[in-house]
Order: sequence, then structure tokens, then C-alpha cells
Amino acid sequence: MKTWQVVLPLLIVCLVVVFYHGLYGNPSYIPPVIINTPAPDFAAPELYEGKEMRLSDHKGKVVVLNFWASWCRECALEHSSLLEVNRRYENDPQFVMIGVNYQDKENLAKEYLEKHGNNFKHVRDYAGKVSIDYGIYGVPETFVIDKEGMIRHKSIGPIIGESYTHLIDKVIEPLLRGETLKG
Amino acid sequence: MILEIGHFAVITALVLAVVGMITPWVGLQTKNGAWVAVGRQAVTLNFFLISIGMLAMVYSYVTHDYSVKYVFSTSNSKLPIFYKVAGLWGGHEGSLLGWAWILSLFCALAVWIHWRTQPAVMPYLISIESTLLTGFLLLILFLSNPFERTLFIPPDGKDLNPLLQDPAMVIHPPMLYLGYVGLSIPYSFAMAALFSGRLSEEWIKVTQRWTLFAWLALTTGILMGGYWAYYELGWGGYWGWDPVENASFMPWLIATAFLHSVMVQETRKMFMVWNLFLIILAFSLSLIGTFLVRSGVLSSVHSFANDPGRGIFILAFLTFMLCLSFGMLIFRSSKLKSKVEMESFLSREAIFLYNNLFFMIAFIIVFIGTLYPLFMEVMKFQKVSVGPPYYNAVFMPVAWGLILLMGIGPYIPWRKSSVASLKGIVTLPFFVAFCSLPLFYLVGIQDIYALLALSITLFTLTAIVRDYSALAKMWAERDGVSLSRGLARAFRQNPRKSAGMLTHLGVLVMTVGIVFSTLFQTEKIQVIKPGETLALNNYQVKLVELYPVTGVNWSGYEGLFEVYDKNKRLVTVLRPQKRLYEVSQTPTTEAAIHQIYTGHIFLTLPEVTPDASSARLRALHNPLVMWVWYGGGIMGLGVLMNIFRGFIFGPSRNKGVTTPAVVVPIPDNAEIVT
Repeated sequence: MKTWQVVLPLLIVCLVVVFYHGLYGNPSYIPPVIINTPAPDFAAPELYEGKEMRLSDHKGKVVVLNFWASWCRECALEHSSLLEVNRRYENDPQFVMIGVNYQDKENLAKEYLEKHGNNFKHVRDYAGKVSIDYGIYGVPETFVIDKEGMIRHKSIGPIIGESYTHLIDKVIEPLLRGETLKG
Repeated sequence: MILEIGHFAVITALVLAVVGMITPWVGLQTKNGAWVAVGRQAVTLNFFLISIGMLAMVYSYVTHDYSVKYVFSTSNSKLPIFYKVAGLWGGHEGSLLGWAWILSLFCALAVWIHWRTQPAVMPYLISIESTLLTGFLLLILFLSNPFERTLFIPPDGKDLNPLLQDPAMVIHPPMLYLGYVGLSIPYSFAMAALFSGRLSEEWIKVTQRWTLFAWLALTTGILMGGYWAYYELGWGGYWGWDPVENASFMPWLIATAFLHSVMVQETRKMFMVWNLFLIILAFSLSLIGTFLVRSGVLSSVHSFANDPGRGIFILAFLTFMLCLSFGMLIFRSSKLKSKVEMESFLSREAIFLYNNLFFMIAFIIVFIGTLYPLFMEVMKFQKVSVGPPYYNAVFMPVAWGLILLMGIGPYIPWRKSSVASLKGIVTLPFFVAFCSLPLFYLVGIQDIYALLALSITLFTLTAIVRDYSALAKMWAERDGVSLSRGLARAFRQNPRKSAGMLTHLGVLVMTVGIVFSTLFQTEKIQVIKPGETLALNNYQVKLVELYPVTGVNWSGYEGLFEVYDKNKRLVTVLRPQKRLYEVSQTPTTEAAIHQIYTGHIFLTLPEVTPDASSARLRALHNPLVMWVWYGGGIMGLGVLMNIFRGFIFGPSRNKGVTTPAVVVPIPDNAEIVT
């Protein structure tokens, strides 16, 4: 018996087992991170300075957490909106915006920010841990966390047009005023 | 009523498929050819029966019969007739019926063509193809029935997904099915060889055209899908490493490896087990692709409805086919000792071996990338997704390796070569490639990946040009004609070699297209108001006005843009749209494209304010992007020439002509494959 004659059936068995279990998994993965649950804390290196940043460092602030990558086209589309959001609130001590760079190369991420402009901090999600904790389905995704550290809003896809005005008027503004969100 | 006739025809086809599966075996056991003939009738009839089923569905589409669930969910009375018919393969159930129809067509054709010449193969071919058809018909009739009606008759259909309302998208899926199903014929021949124990090279020679045809269809399908994604999805790229794209790419990679390695078996009687393995793998991957796409185990933009019941059935069927095929291969492989051992690692067969190795690595890269997320989930590890950076980083070196081999393989002799001969083959191409580097650098190509890719491409191009110029010269001298006629003769006298060369040229053209359109793409995104301009490389894109527009089944906004070159001359006027399809309430962005040389100015409007006072504009300059599809076209021409070389050039054009004994530059690489 040659090695391949043993390995091949084993591979087929493994494949079938994986496929079988896959059928009972949830393929489209509705992430466990749901609105109105505590935001998972994370510790990740800052993109430029490399020092560790934690979500809990920003307790008491409204945090906008944006997951992006340099290879993601939709991210480039929303980038100017993100800059606009931060420009609007950067002087408010109760507001902070953090970008989470997802599955990316450091130099490419920096090139991307150079090209599209940057006015807020970013952390690198090396092992994809932060993204997994937040149940990221794809990029871009944006979360808004209130002053108590609860996730109050999640949006999938680029923040442009209506989702931009919604984010400002219906999410960030009320949260900064300490109101609870409607709906 | 018509629909019920179609439904009944397909049910009958299932019965006949079972007949076709069993009777040839009875014939083999009882040594009675009449049983095999029954199988033949069954597969021929099946084609007509399933055709009736298809026509009945088309009839329901054309007559707006929305009491049929599937027609209701994939059509609408406002749709143009072209897309009404295309709705048939716009969803899961109908496209499966399409699969089964193509399978029955190919099976009937293969039996018709090979009945007299391959009598020993026929019982196995009929039985195996009927087994496949049985599996698909069971799935269609019991778990994904497109003929199902509802009690309540809706006034109008839900509409075909607007993204699919596009000519390229109408042809893309059937092309892929032709490719997938086309692979089933060489697969069945291989299985027949395994079952019957007639394991000579015959099955490879007989199925060569089938394999080439399947490959051509698969390539066309993939390229059309890319083209559709490019101008319809509006992100300006054509390949996203999406799991479903990968599902079609994996059998393509293996089929390509197979097309190369069969040449070694034909010429040197080597790689026998390997070739059987490759074709079984290629077809199995078509089935695995079907499973991945239709069971919903992987999340992808190409989502079909997720139904574990269907998934279980396809998985059970897939497992059965995998066990049967690979089991037979393992069982028979002891019989299959290559008659010839490899003599040297510097020989054409060795280059084919490296070629296959690279294709296998490429396949494994894509396979792991596609299944890794699923594997991690099953093992209760974390949920992950594999992004384009993984593929781009790992795939690129493999692609380079393959292109490099293209510049060596066809020119190195079979059996044994020497280092000196290899030097003779690579010196000039290497010299040209190396000297081109500073030139490329000086004209502004400074990206290291681009430089490498382009110089490797140039290496292979030089090898091809040198080979054909030498051949042209030789034929010109021999027959006393001009060089161009000599070239024409060189081309004609060895059609198979020339067809291969043409296909390789296509690959080179495509490589240049991919390199330029990805590494040198310029992208600008800006909120723009009428009257404002955006600078895009040497061009100025000016928004003249924004206005509402309506179509037959959609409404939206259109931007009128003027594009100026650096001399402020008007180059073109472009009108990208932001549409909303009314019935399904699906928004789409319609790109506006202007071709400059072989590159594109590509505009989309991802967002327009409701009062049409401003819009977000995404402007792309994609240099040489059309080379990707031109290259594909040249590859297709090469394969067509290979398939029809007998018709085009006559079966033995070089009768009475002595095949040239020497091909420059090295006397001992004179082998010309015929």
C-alpha cells in the first residue's frame, strides 16, 4: 500500500465530515454581538505608534468603532464620511473614533490612510481577534458604543448617504446628549 | 397543463435514468449487447424528455404563469423577453434543471459520437452518466422542484435579480455548466477505463476534444463572470476571490493541469495514475463546487437559498461519487505501473511535472483559502474569513512560475536534455527579460511585482518569438518563399503546437492586462456638484448635470460627465447611473465606461442626494484592462483551433512533406509534437 492510497481516503473522509458539520453551522453567521450588549473589550496595537490601546481606556465616551481594510473598496467609499464625522466631534471630549484595521498589511494600511487622509486613531487587528469578538462579517462595519460601554448601533456597509445622516442625527447626537436611542 | 407535461417528462426521465444506470451492467454481466442498447435508448430519450421539461418552463415564463413558484420568484411581466427566458437559470431550481439538461445532451452526444468506435467503453459511460443524471433529477424532483405551483396566484412576479439582468450574466452561468458538465465526459471515459481495466492511452486520445471544449466553456464562463462583475457591480475590479468564484476556478486549475499532463501520457506513456487522478479530481471539484454553492455552507455574494435538506442530499451524492471514483482509482492503481521511468529532471516530461506541481499548489492555495473558514468553524475555532491579500500574496509566485515554465517547456526535448541545451534555450529570453528591467523602470514602472511579472512575461514572449521566427526562416528557405509565408507554413504544418502557442500568447496578454489594471489603477472618490471637476491622472472629469431618469422597470439618477484630456480637449461624455429597481426595491450602480486605447475611464455614482444637488463620484482609470479579456479571447482562439484543427488544416496536411528535422537554436530540441 502506498502512502497516497491511505492519505487520499483519509482526506476524503475529513472533507465529508467538515462539509457535514458545515451544513449545521450558520453560514451567514449572524454575529453574537448584538445591539444593547456590552462591547467586548480589546487590546490592540496602535497603527502608527505601536503602543497598545484598549477600548476600556475610553470608558465614559461615545466610541465609534470602524472596521476597515486597505483592500476593501467600499471602505474607500465611506472614508471621507468618517473623516467628516470625526471632524465634527473631535473637539468634544466625550467622543472618540477608532479605526480597526482588519486583515491587512501595515504598509498598505498606512499608504491607504496617506492617500485618503486621516484624522483619527487606528489599531491593528493582527490575529483577527477583535474582528471575531465583534462578529465582523465583512468590511466596512461600524459600531457605536455609548458612554456605559454598551453597543448601541451597528451598520454593515459604507457610511454614506442616508446611513451617514442616520449615524449623526439618530445615533451619535442622542448618545452624546445622554439619551437612549429610539427603535 | 403544458407545465405539467414538462414535469411529467422530467419524472419519466428519472425513471429512464435509473434504467440507463442499471441495464448496461446487466448487459455486461449477461454478455448481451441488447441491454446496453436499451441504455443507449434511455440516454437519448432522456435528452428529449428533459428538453420538454425545459421548454415547458420557458413557456411558463413567456406566458407569465406566476402560479409557478419558481417563475414567480425569478420573473416579472415588465421584464424584456430575453431576461424572461434567462430567468430560468436565475435561481437554484431552474439552474439545476439546466445542469441536468446539459448533462443529458452531452451524454446523448457522446454515445452518438463514440457508439461505433468505442463499444467497450459505452456500457460504463452510459451507466456512469446515468448515475449522475439520476442524482441530479432526484435533487430536482424531490428537493428543488421548479415545476411546483402555488394555490394562490400572484398578480405579478417578484422580478429577476436586477444584477442578473445583463447580457453577460445571461450567458455566464450556462457557460460554466457547459464546462462543469463537459468534464463529466472525459471523467466517464476515465472511469470506464478503470472499471474495464483497459487502461491504455486510448481514453485520453478519444476525450481530448471533450476536455478542450469543457475547458473552453469553463474559461469563457469565468471570464464573462469577471467582465460582468467589472461593469455591473461597479467596484472596478473583475476578480474578488469570492468562494463561488473559487468554486469555478478550482476545477479550471485542475483541468488545465490535466490538459498539459495528458501530453506526457500520449507521448511517453507516463503519468497514467496521475492523469486519472486529475480528471477525477477536476470533475469532483465541479460537484464540490455545486455543493458549496447550493448548500449554503459558505457565505458568498452568490447566495442561493440555504437548505440543509438539499445540502445533505448533495453531500450524500458527492460522497458516493468521490468514494466510487477515488476508490476505483486506488483499487486499480497497482495495475497501473508506468511503463517508462523519468530519465532526467531536465526534459519536457519533467517540465510538465513542474507545471502540474505548480497547478496543484495553486489549487491547494485556493482550496485551503475557500474551505479554511468552514474548517475553523467546524473545529469550533474562531470564525475567520480569508481576504484577497492571502490569495494575492500566495498565488502570485505560482503564476510567475507557470509563466516561466511556458517559456521553457515547449522548447526542451523529451526524455533527456542537458544543462548546455537548457542554457541555449534560456539565454536569449533571459537576456531580453533582464535588459528590459531598466527600460521598464525608466518608463515609470517601478513596482517590484510589476517589474518581475513583466520581465517574466517578456522572457516567455521572447522564447515564443524566437521559436517561430526560426521555424519561419527554415520553411522560407526550404520552400523558397518569403518569411511571412514561411511563418504561415510553420503555423499550418504543426497546428497542435501552433494552437498551444496561441493559447500561451493569450495568457501573456492577459498577464499584462492583470498587472496594469491592478497595480497601476488610479482611483478617486469625491463628492461632486454640477459644474465641478475631478482630476484623474491626465484627465479632467467634469459633472455637467445630475437628473432623474426612468427605465422600463427601474427609476434613478443619471450624471452627465464630460471627460477632458490634458490639452483640455473633450474626450468623451459619460453617463453613469444610480438605479432603483421598483419591484424588488434593489439599488444598483451602473458604471459608465470609456475606452482609451485598451484602458478604461470608469465612472460610477454610488450615491446621489435626493434633490440631485450633489453626488459621490468614484472615478477609476484602469490602464490596459481590456487586455485581460483580449488575452482570454486569444486563449479561446487557440483552443478552438486545437479542437477544430482537423477541419481547418485537414487531417494530415504534411503528407508528403518531410517534417523538418531541426529546429533552431539547438539541434536536439527538434521534436515537434504532432
